[in-house]
Amino acid sequence: MTATGDVLAPSDPSAPRTPPRPRRRRGAGVGRVHPAVAFLWLSPAVALIIGVVLFPAVMLVRASRSEYSITGLYQGSAGWDNYAKVLSYPDLPVVLRNTVVWVVAVVALTILISLALAQLLVKDFPGRRYVRWAVIVPWAASLVITSQLFVLLYDYNYGLINHVLTGLHVIDTPISFLGDDRFTMASMVVVGVFVSLPFTTFVFIAGLSAIPAEVVEAAEVDGASPWQRWRMIILPLLRPALLIATVLNTIYVFNSFPIIYTLNDRNPGFGHDTLITFMYKLAFKSQEKDVGMSAATGVLNVLVILVVVMVYLKIVDWREETR
Amino acid sequence: MRRHTMLTGALATGVLVLTACGGGTGAGDASGGSGDDAEKATTISLMAAEYSKDNTKAFWDSFAAAYEEKYGYTLEVNVVSWDNIDQQSSTMIQNNQPPDILNLNAYASYAKDDLLYDSDQVLPAEVKSDILPTFVKYGTYDGKFYGFPDLSSARALFYNEDLFQKAGISGPPTTWDELEADAKAVKDKTGDVGYAMPLGPEESQGEFSMWLFNNGGDWKNEGDWVIDSEKNVQTLEFMKKLADEGVTQNNPARTNRADAFDLFSSGKAGMVVGFSPLAATLDEAGTVKYGVAPFPSNDGSESKTFGVTDYLMAFKKPGNEDAVKAFYELYYSQDQINTFIEKEGFLPVTQSGVEYFQKDDKLTVYLDTLPNARLTPTDDPTWDKIKLAVQQNLGSAMSGDPKSVLEKLQQTAESES
Repeated sequence: MTATGDVLAPSDPSAPRTPPRPRRRRGAGVGRVHPAVAFLWLSPAVALIIGVVLFPAVMLVRASRSEYSITGLYQGSAGWDNYAKVLSYPDLPVVLRNTVVWVVAVVALTILISLALAQLLVKDFPGRRYVRWAVIVPWAASLVITSQLFVLLYDYNYGLINHVLTGLHVIDTPISFLGDDRFTMASMVVVGVFVSLPFTTFVFIAGLSAIPAEVVEAAEVDGASPWQRWRMIILPLLRPALLIATVLNTIYVFNSFPIIYTLNDRNPGFGHDTLITFMYKLAFKSQEKDVGMSAATGVLNVLVILVVVMVYLKIVDWREETR
Repeated sequence: MRRHTMLTGALATGVLVLTACGGGTGAGDASGGSGDDAEKATTISLMAAEYSKDNTKAFWDSFAAAYEEKYGYTLEVNVVSWDNIDQQSSTMIQNNQPPDILNLNAYASYAKDDLLYDSDQVLPAEVKSDILPTFVKYGTYDGKFYGFPDLSSARALFYNEDLFQKAGISGPPTTWDELEADAKAVKDKTGDVGYAMPLGPEESQGEFSMWLFNNGGDWKNEGDWVIDSEKNVQTLEFMKKLADEGVTQNNPARTNRADAFDLFSSGKAGMVVGFSPLAATLDEAGTVKYGVAPFPSNDGSESKTFGVTDYLMAFKKPGNEDAVKAFYELYYSQDQINTFIEKEGFLPVTQSGVEYFQKDDKLTVYLDTLPNARLTPTDDPTWDKIKLAVQQNLGSAMSGDPKSVLEKLQQTAESES
């Protein structure tokens, strides 16, 4: 996730942009290069996009329109059958509901907690450096390892959380955090938020650091209360960072596979699956075991997340915000 | 405006990239090409399942060296974890680049798709006659033997001797009533789990098979699916009763086999259905005093064990027939197959292997039952789907109606076949 995040670096609003330069003669002067040279520099990126994005996308669409046997053997064209089968799948409504709950809960909680954390971490206090490092840790650990760790924490028989809760007499019998339908989604959301905090917090720290101290000082001189200063000055100036954090988190969280797959592996059926794990299970775990249906779900997933992101950007009028 | 397009482009690319990444571990390894177009293949590839981190890769590497030395062919070994092997093999077949030999827990669907060599083409006759008849039977699809077994395991009842002693139980149960009483006694007197029952999606068909075979039931009878037979409904109802009485671990429907084994290995469960690799783990840790007994039958008649075997199947590819044949000749030679099975802690699949392993007293309980072991209907391609349906649905009987769960599975089986 960290590596792919870099792809978006050029859109970082805080990055200084070179102002348009007066037109000069082709190939001469600062800031202009010969098209061939430009192409040479761009070619690795272009090759990467073709190889890693376009080619798999084309293959995915092709697979979604093909019929496969359970072994993976190609059996001919399926037309739109796979899409029809996925869209009429009995468990799809549950999966969609889970996806919405998962994405909204994780992103909203992450943003709220990260705002508070970032606010704390820009203040000067002894040991701040170490706290900042500590915040990065969940980001540095592999998602599968983190998820496995939480499986152990949540465990019914030996889990630390149950141990502490029963020890403090909060509960009499342990709670099956992962096997009890009432707790499963909430337990997964906690992990989702935990691993999303570092990135989001650091986006906000960057955003807060970019706010000129003079503006805040001026508000203070004019008699604004701390809450007013935060609400009227800091929050509006943070909006570009909020926008980036929301969009990226929505995409990450929507696509999050390891957390749900690991924490939910004991539960049969699709009761706690999101579209991503649904896609995987269709291909390898469900009785359909159908690569074609899975590919169709994959195409639909891309469309869903594209539409969601576009609608969101439309609503917040991102052109204003990212200027 | 330029900024607008750039941002849209960047975001759209980001969405695509991230979505592509989110799709999990796409199997990228397509090294199956083995000089297909050559007249005679001199290099063949093997995709093997990883039974253990320590032994599997080491065995196949030394096997490849012996293979090259003896026949002059090269064997490309690719050991894949059980979590990934379905994905990788499926991807390779989608790309029309299957491995020459694939080690998997199913074969019938591949035979149905006409991808495999049968025994007449690649298996030496003396090997076929050495393989235990049970495994030949379950490896035969449509009259031809395609599913060559690599190793096997048989299940038995593991019981914790310390917990049994504390609960005042003298020996392992021989009927289901005794099992129920023992489980209750363990639960009441020690507070630990009486019987650990894993009906989670990992392998619920295995647990249920053990029970239903010992109630005179089966998945298929004379070619017809009988999943919702009276015996099977009775079996599942009995299992549900145990869960309802609270003598099993919490939430059996949401417990995978590995978790049940963990419970037993930590001394917190009185009984569990286990197999030889569990015994190896327990011996190594040495903390639990346990006994192994045949799983009791409902009425006290002779126990039937549930056997499992995995397969080494050979894919038809131009020119690879001789090399594949040589592979099997070497694999089924005493030195190789027995070494592999011994290292991995499983059971033999050949008559000569059964004789060889008689030397180990600990295996007697399994070896005696092995020739009469009952398997799930792996010879029916429909089973490859039903197995998944059972894994995903059987557990729901614990909170619902066992009969209707089995009826639904029966309908699925009938509509698929």
